[in-house]
Amino acid sequence: MRSLLNFLNRFGNILLFILLELIALYMLAARPNYHNIKLTKAMNASRAAINAKINQATDYFSLNEINQQLLRENGELKNTLQRFYRDSEIKTYSVTDSLHRQQYVYIQASVVNNSVNKQKNYITLDRGTLSGVKEDMAVASQSGIAGIIIEAGRNYSIAMSVLNLEFRLSVRLKKNGYFGSLTWDGADDNILIINEIPNHVNISIGDTIETTGFSAVFPEGIMVGTIVDFDEGGGDFYDIEIKPSTEYRKLNDVYIIVNLKKDDQIELESDVTGTR
Amino acid sequence: MLNNIAKYTGLFILLLVIQVSLLNNIQFSGFVNPYIYILFILLLPFETPSWLILILSFLAGLVVDITAGTPGLHTSATVFAGFLRPYVLNYISPHEGYEQGDLPGIKTYGFRWFITYVIIIVSLHHLFLFYLEVFRFEYFFRTLLRVLLSTGFTVLFIVIVQAVFIRR
Repeated sequence: MRSLLNFLNRFGNILLFILLELIALYMLAARPNYHNIKLTKAMNASRAAINAKINQATDYFSLNEINQQLLRENGELKNTLQRFYRDSEIKTYSVTDSLHRQQYVYIQASVVNNSVNKQKNYITLDRGTLSGVKEDMAVASQSGIAGIIIEAGRNYSIAMSVLNLEFRLSVRLKKNGYFGSLTWDGADDNILIINEIPNHVNISIGDTIETTGFSAVFPEGIMVGTIVDFDEGGGDFYDIEIKPSTEYRKLNDVYIIVNLKKDDQIELESDVTGTR
Repeated sequence: MLNNIAKYTGLFILLLVIQVSLLNNIQFSGFVNPYIYILFILLLPFETPSWLILILSFLAGLVVDITAGTPGLHTSATVFAGFLRPYVLNYISPHEGYEQGDLPGIKTYGFRWFITYVIIIVSLHHLFLFYLEVFRFEYFFRTLLRVLLSTGFTVLFIVIVQAVFIRR
């Protein structure tokens, strides 16, 4: 007993330090799949509620700009409405079942919390499972891509911002369709990186980059940004820097994009390749 | 004792308000992220037992994590800093040792002693925090730059807060 007390006296603090550190690191490691952790649930709910209040107040200051954006977007939408309907064969049906023809549904959402100054930025949105939001849905602003939902609560959801070191997305050059992989290197919120575009492809500054739709998360053809700089790199691929078309610092109103045929695509692909 | 608890709770809330309302909104490409709440751990009385510092570090980090939405990140960094505090204090102690009942501050042992103490703890805390946040060595030097810049600003803010708000 005496030796136990002695031991605790000498090493108790180190043991306590290790214990607390393990708890903290466990919380950190559990972040991506923390559905079961009540603490984080409660944390996110209270944080989102507080931020929603602050946001209500600040929304008023940008009303004018948002109106302009909406007008512009309305015009664009009228022009491009047909793009998201894939109806080549289905035209023969006389039944107008929108569920089988329409591939994408847009859920309007407001940003209640957003950061650009961390290495792993997240966006909190005011729509959750009650509005039909699920994980892995795409988030886009009026002007381009914004993120991917990683966690959906009842009334709020959290999206991984494009400005996150973990973010990956398949994108392509609009003019010739060569595709590569989009990432962010954590340095500047106005620069995104594309690699895996082979350097025999002819590219130039100002070229438009859009989504490919390969991952069944984003529809194809959503604007990503324009090339501002590139060099041939060391290997067979370009190092391309692009300026995102979305202004992440001003992100306010976004769309959550639901792909109605996503499960279909993934099921079929896993049938063929045998993996997921 | 009760008086002390009230005082330190007040100090922590003050630091948290500064952190959330001011420092979290610094936009400098993510290179400057000062975390001033660590001053709470720095200012605890000399005779605070190590286990209590660890528990308080854990709680303080947890509250900061709740406001920042980063479960575990600040908690682990603050516990790390709290663990090292007694060793650092021991290392830089003046010849006569510390007086019972004294508080760490500019007034007690002079500006040089205080700034050494603050720089050592803050840089250890920030090193741990920023590398844990990035969790890869790919951006080693950029992260190091972020640590250095943020440490500089945190120390600056701590000196300002210490000069403005904390008498005695």
